[in-house]
Amino acid sequence: MIYFPSRSVRIATLFWVAVLLSFASSAYSADIGAGKIKAELCITCHGQGGNSTTPDIPSLSGQPAQAIATALFRFREGNRKNPVMSPLAAELSNADMNNLSAYFSSIKRISNHETQAANLAAGPELTSKYNCTQCHGPQLQGLQHIPRIAGQQYEYLTTQLRGFKAQIRSDMDGNMSSAAANVSDADIVILADYISGLKDQVDSK
Amino acid sequence: MKKKIIVAFTLAFSISAFAQQKIEDPPPRWLQGRSEADAKSNLHPFSPILTGTDIKDLKMSTLKLPAGFAIDVWAEVPNARSLARGSKGTIFVSNLAANDVYAVVEKNGKREVKKILKGLNAPNGVAFIDGALYVAERTQIKKYENIEDRLDNPPEGVLIVDGLDPTNGPGHFWKYLTVGPDKKLYFNIGSPQNITIPNYVQGAIMRVDPQTGRMERVATGVRNSVGMDFHPVTKKLWFTEHGRDWLGDDQPSDELNVLSKVGEDFGYPFCHQGDISDPLYGKYASCDQFTPPALKLGAHVAPLGLHFYTGNQFPTEYKNNLFIARHGSWNRNTKQGYDVMRVTVDAKGKVVKYEPFLTGFLLNDKGDPPMWGRPVDLLVMPDGAMLISDDYNGVIYRVSYKK
Repeated sequence: MIYFPSRSVRIATLFWVAVLLSFASSAYSADIGAGKIKAELCITCHGQGGNSTTPDIPSLSGQPAQAIATALFRFREGNRKNPVMSPLAAELSNADMNNLSAYFSSIKRISNHETQAANLAAGPELTSKYNCTQCHGPQLQGLQHIPRIAGQQYEYLTTQLRGFKAQIRSDMDGNMSSAAANVSDADIVILADYISGLKDQVDSK
Repeated sequence: MKKKIIVAFTLAFSISAFAQQKIEDPPPRWLQGRSEADAKSNLHPFSPILTGTDIKDLKMSTLKLPAGFAIDVWAEVPNARSLARGSKGTIFVSNLAANDVYAVVEKNGKREVKKILKGLNAPNGVAFIDGALYVAERTQIKKYENIEDRLDNPPEGVLIVDGLDPTNGPGHFWKYLTVGPDKKLYFNIGSPQNITIPNYVQGAIMRVDPQTGRMERVATGVRNSVGMDFHPVTKKLWFTEHGRDWLGDDQPSDELNVLSKVGEDFGYPFCHQGDISDPLYGKYASCDQFTPPALKLGAHVAPLGLHFYTGNQFPTEYKNNLFIARHGSWNRNTKQGYDVMRVTVDAKGKVVKYEPFLTGFLLNDKGDPPMWGRPVDLLVMPDGAMLISDDYNGVIYRVSYKK
């Protein structure tokens, strides 16, 4: 029980708690429960809680909410195209997208990928050299619209990087296409093997 | 032995060839021109919330305006960028991160938002002349005739000009579009990179006559301009220009420029803000060859839309003042911008004052993200109120004044 010396202090305290809460909440007005219900269709491919067990289908768990919503929006609007995702996203409202994003964002990422010993050493060097950590964050857990890649499916990572390099993967602002432009295919394999095996050492939130 | 030497030689040669090639590889676009000193920087560009922010989550109470002014949410449009008004009152809104153009119409006191064009390529620029909407995309400008009578069944676009993105690279490919007093369309072709010598139509402001399709370059040495307007009295073109990145937190300043004659050169990539010689390209020219800015707007503030206030609702001292939307910095450790500034211009067209008008989007100048909203473009309505688009939240605000 917190003791408030006077009514005005109590009101002032409540005011500041409200202010702090309003700043702490995300920019989304999202409903995790509604997202979980809506996610039933998603998890048939993306796995329980969005932890994928299918090589070429990405995990959604632990993604920054804005990154998931951005991807869904771009599928719906036709900026990014995929025979499965485009028609599914076409059925979603902005609120659905925000709810789904909030739900998957709240689930802990699980990665079962084991990185080859040689790539454990080479990986950090390459993620720094190719500027991955600059936007995706020091632990590669993403932020805002920039997706989490730590613990992502190995095959999905190689497909996306090769797609960006070939400039056939949809790219909102050109950053990924230009970042991947100089990455050799051998390095794509090392990067994907290393990044896919990253387990949570530091809590992402 | 001989074999070993050859192997060693071949190996050494291939390693040096490899190193050589790596040096020549261009860096990713947002790092282009970054100095060694900034090599550890983790500054990164921000992205809009494409699904939009719920109105009740907008932190409207943090916004500050001069006394007597009020701001409210006028419409919700995803990734709202440039604004243009049709003669029958339709407000056209472009976006950049999606690929659509929206129309906002008022019917029986109700405001309605409808998507009228889709599947476009970075349709950032919108302008309206004689019943027709013009849209500037990445590579082309198209005309949509008699659009206000056909919002529910828009016509096919008629091509006015094509081939505007000769390199199709990831650089400054989005275009602003506005109408001159000559009824020609003015637009930018940005520099393909942060800092480079552009080819002759890049780093320029162009105009095209929509009747004939004739195009000419009106200004050069402009890194990227995403805001243009004509002075209501002098009829001269005023435009904002983004300065280069990775020269430090405090330089160069972004620019407010005035075009005095066709073909004028504003200095990029040789000279920035009128008096800073570029570390790489400055040796090829002298700053005094170029037109300096009319006003230095601040480093990395990212000025976008600008508009002279021609309405009658704001106090009389605001008449013909210039408002500038500053989208806000990413390439700066301590963030600034994210506001609308007011510029007082005297009768001769000279800048006499530069002060904040709408502030409060910036919450924490060291935050990531530091802001909750980003002003993009401005439009003065017939009643004198001013619309301000915010691409980050996907909303349009309305600023009004009451005595």
